[in-house]
Amino acid sequence: MLFGRKRAEKDKTGATEAKPAEQAGKQGTGAILKDVLYGMAAHGNVTAALRTRMYMEHLFMFITLGDMLGIPVLPPYYSLRILPYAVPNIESWKQRVFRERDFTDALY
Amino acid sequence: MTPFWFVVAALVAYGLAYFLYGRWYDRTVWKPDPKKTTPAHMYMDGVEFFPASRYVLWGYQFKSVAALGPILGPFIALQYGWLPALLWIIFGNFFIGWVQDYGAIMVSVRNQGRSFGPIAYEFTGSSGRNTLLGFILFYLLMISATFIFFIARFWNTLPGTFAGTVGVIITGVIVGQLMYKARLNVGWTTLIAVVLVALSVLLGLYLPMPVNAFGAWSVAFWAAVASIFLYVASILPLPTLIQPMNFVSFFPTFLAVILIIIGALLSPVFHIPLQQPAWKGFWSPASGPMWPMMFLAIACGAISGWHSLVGSSTTAKQLDLETDAHPVGAGAMLGEGLLALASLASYMVLTPDQTKVNVTAWVAGAEKLTMGFLGGQAAVPILQTYFGVALVLFAITVQALVTRFWRLVSAEIFGQGSFAVLGQKHVATFVGLLIAWLFAVSGSWNNLWLYFGGSNQLLAGLALMLITIHLARVKERTGVTFWPAMFMMVTTILGLIYQTYIFLKAVITQKTLVQPPLNQIHWAATTLDAIFTVVGVVLVVLGIRMAWMTLSSYQKAKAMPAAGVSQPASTGE
Repeated sequence: MLFGRKRAEKDKTGATEAKPAEQAGKQGTGAILKDVLYGMAAHGNVTAALRTRMYMEHLFMFITLGDMLGIPVLPPYYSLRILPYAVPNIESWKQRVFRERDFTDALY
Repeated sequence: MTPFWFVVAALVAYGLAYFLYGRWYDRTVWKPDPKKTTPAHMYMDGVEFFPASRYVLWGYQFKSVAALGPILGPFIALQYGWLPALLWIIFGNFFIGWVQDYGAIMVSVRNQGRSFGPIAYEFTGSSGRNTLLGFILFYLLMISATFIFFIARFWNTLPGTFAGTVGVIITGVIVGQLMYKARLNVGWTTLIAVVLVALSVLLGLYLPMPVNAFGAWSVAFWAAVASIFLYVASILPLPTLIQPMNFVSFFPTFLAVILIIIGALLSPVFHIPLQQPAWKGFWSPASGPMWPMMFLAIACGAISGWHSLVGSSTTAKQLDLETDAHPVGAGAMLGEGLLALASLASYMVLTPDQTKVNVTAWVAGAEKLTMGFLGGQAAVPILQTYFGVALVLFAITVQALVTRFWRLVSAEIFGQGSFAVLGQKHVATFVGLLIAWLFAVSGSWNNLWLYFGGSNQLLAGLALMLITIHLARVKERTGVTFWPAMFMMVTTILGLIYQTYIFLKAVITQKTLVQPPLNQIHWAATTLDAIFTVVGVVLVVLGIRMAWMTLSSYQKAKAMPAAGVSQPASTGE
């Protein structure tokens, strides 16, 4: 599974539809405590792991589909073999690569 | 009188700040709309931008901002008595602290989830952004110098802390391997982590290091050990060492905070009275006048620039609904205020002699507050080791991230041009740690802490100005952020000028502020005093320049029409 696809697909339907505030507020005490503990202990860990995977995915995409940017790294035959698997990921890859980044984005 | 009443008073004050003042500000100024699409949804990539629960983000934001600042700041502020420290922690947080944290998240959310670098660029131009970059570089240097000093001092003074810290670091490495390589279930990994951390504290208890083993050079030695560890941590990928170490450190550090708060609340039961005087005077021989210096000393407990960097760089990108910004930003900052108060309480129960020069007094206070319900006098050795290890972990986990961030900022500044080598990964890290080590060895920790606090709170003032500029552009009420910004900028710049003058006076009068052993080497001590003077001048110049730029941009923003300000598209209605 290429990076980020699962989550993007999962959230595709509700991506631009905000949850009603009252629905978001309906969470049991146990679930709230679990969320807070997860946020304190592991959320930073999870996002750091995701970022590492993102950089590796970028590298993979550059190597296999570099032709799209005018950098033919891999012979086109192999790129075409990989293309069907990479197509769903191209949009979010472009979005991530083209996003303006700053040193203040790299704090955590 | 016991610390109980202070914790209760703070809870009431922070409750009012959150539920009355906070909600009024939220509804009348920012007017968050739960139907507006946040950057987490608009730019969702599953990595940096994705919606997370408000409770997850509250926990994340709180963990990211709670470090050594709110713990050690009140110790330095005690030079004026506990009353001014208490009032600033409560009212500073009430009127300024949470406003900045919340505003930083909201301004980022309303500007496509951008962090403070690009926002500063948009509001103040490229020179404003470059000034901010330079200022942050020196700010990081000051954090590093003070934190490395304290890590070394704790290892040197508290015998069990070094072995305990090493145990926790090794636990972090093991946990990282279990999570990412062995792919062990998170629940089991956590259980293993907690057991290994407990064993690490026991290891510290049974493997104490001798105090002052290297005589006058002991702090220099331990600072070098800390620097070597930080070098390795910042060079390796985040998931290899820093993040797993932060994960395992969470358990002992936050248990320590909870225990101290419980201890403060139970203080009437165990008859633990306040022993510090409420007021010592407006002038402190070590730090100077209470205004502005106390407002520099209490770093993070009342307001901190670091929070705006965290809030805009990560939290704002994951905010599910705009209405979550209030509980996440304001809630986490008020929680941090409670941490500062718990730390103040642990100093207040000690005698003035115990807190006079002893920077590890927090451990002694924590022991005193908790031993009543944790086993009495017999538990003191284990409590001392435990709280000592927790104190080191508070410092070392953030310092590892700061060292890494220094490397990235250096790469940004020196990445191209004649000094490109200074932006190279290993060179940047080595140079940054070498300078910080040298500063730490100078022993002028009180004065350097004031530089750190000054730059940290000045950064907060600048963040408040960026928030004010945004509000002026969208034609909203600006007074709630503008006047706190002015107060923070004037206070911190004057504080930095005063501290620079103190170092300059040391150079001119040849009465060095450098402590043993370097003060025995006359030329080295004078050179360090001179370097600290230059650092102060640079911080003041960059701070004034940035303040001037933000004020000019504010004037322009007030004059310009509301149209043209970037706002996320609304999908509601």
